[in-house]
Amino acid sequence: MTDTDIDDLFAMARDETPKPSAALMERVLADGQALQPRAPSPLRAKIAPQPGFWSMLLSAIGGGGGLAGLTTATLAGLWIGFFQPSSVSAMTDVIWSEGAAVDLVELIPSYDDFLTEG
Amino acid sequence: MDMACDPDADLTDDALLVLYANGDPMAVRVLTARLTPRALAYAARMLGGDRAEAEDVTQEAMLRLWRIAPDWRQGEAKVSTWLYRVVTNLCTDRLRKRQSRKAVTLDEAPEIEDGHAGVEAGLMERDRMAALNHALETLPERQRQAVVLRHIEGLTNPEIADIMEIGVEAVESLTARGKRSLAAALAGQKQELGYEEGR
Repeated sequence: MTDTDIDDLFAMARDETPKPSAALMERVLADGQALQPRAPSPLRAKIAPQPGFWSMLLSAIGGGGGLAGLTTATLAGLWIGFFQPSSVSAMTDVIWSEGAAVDLVELIPSYDDFLTEG
Repeated sequence: MDMACDPDADLTDDALLVLYANGDPMAVRVLTARLTPRALAYAARMLGGDRAEAEDVTQEAMLRLWRIAPDWRQGEAKVSTWLYRVVTNLCTDRLRKRQSRKAVTLDEAPEIEDGHAGVEAGLMERDRMAALNHALETLPERQRQAVVLRHIEGLTNPEIADIMEIGVEAVESLTARGKRSLAAALAGQKQELGYEEGR
């Protein structure tokens, strides 16, 4: 075989390039579409819901924890106010009992004394 | 599906791959239409005309292209060069597996019918292609790659050097030796293939 014969065979091979079947093209295209990264689209992006009045109030007082603390404090205040627990009245009786004598010592004379004296 | 036309011929493969990674639905169609035929033609030559295997290799190579697209760095390498390299590697793997199953020798060359008077031109062409494919199969791997890329795919030596990751001189040497080996392999079939003596 001469160089010309071989070149002739190559030329023939170039003309007879195997063509991909439609099925192969479909498979390759399907793979490409399946693996294609999705573009960020404004239509596809979900709009974040606007917070309502109650959720804004909840977040203003510090969320669920804040609400629990506030509720506890409110209830405790109400309870103390209405029922006056005995431990509290016992303590106040000791400090401010009816018959207790209170000695008052004027440690610093009031200004009035100086004013009247001129 | 009509993918024969390429309305975005002015866009490079590189640019299309970037568009693909950005989610452009047009890019996937154009790249498929542009690169699949080239990958298949090369794979089929490398695999001795085994169509089914060439289609598998092509699909796998394109799959790898889709996967690498988000990490592709524009301007660093040519997409076609990258694809040819992947097809080369996949074909090499398959050929090695095949060789481990059976050693291909020229004795197994397909029987070529005698060139009797009634043989049609189409049959002769088919015989010639079968003989060329078989002769290519007998070449050492690297020689076959270089010969197919240079003489059938029509790439330039620097492009082949890039694909094979060797120097241009090495490519020239491989193609020259490959061509000589082909001539030797086909010498015995000269008459059957319709080539005149003394040419």
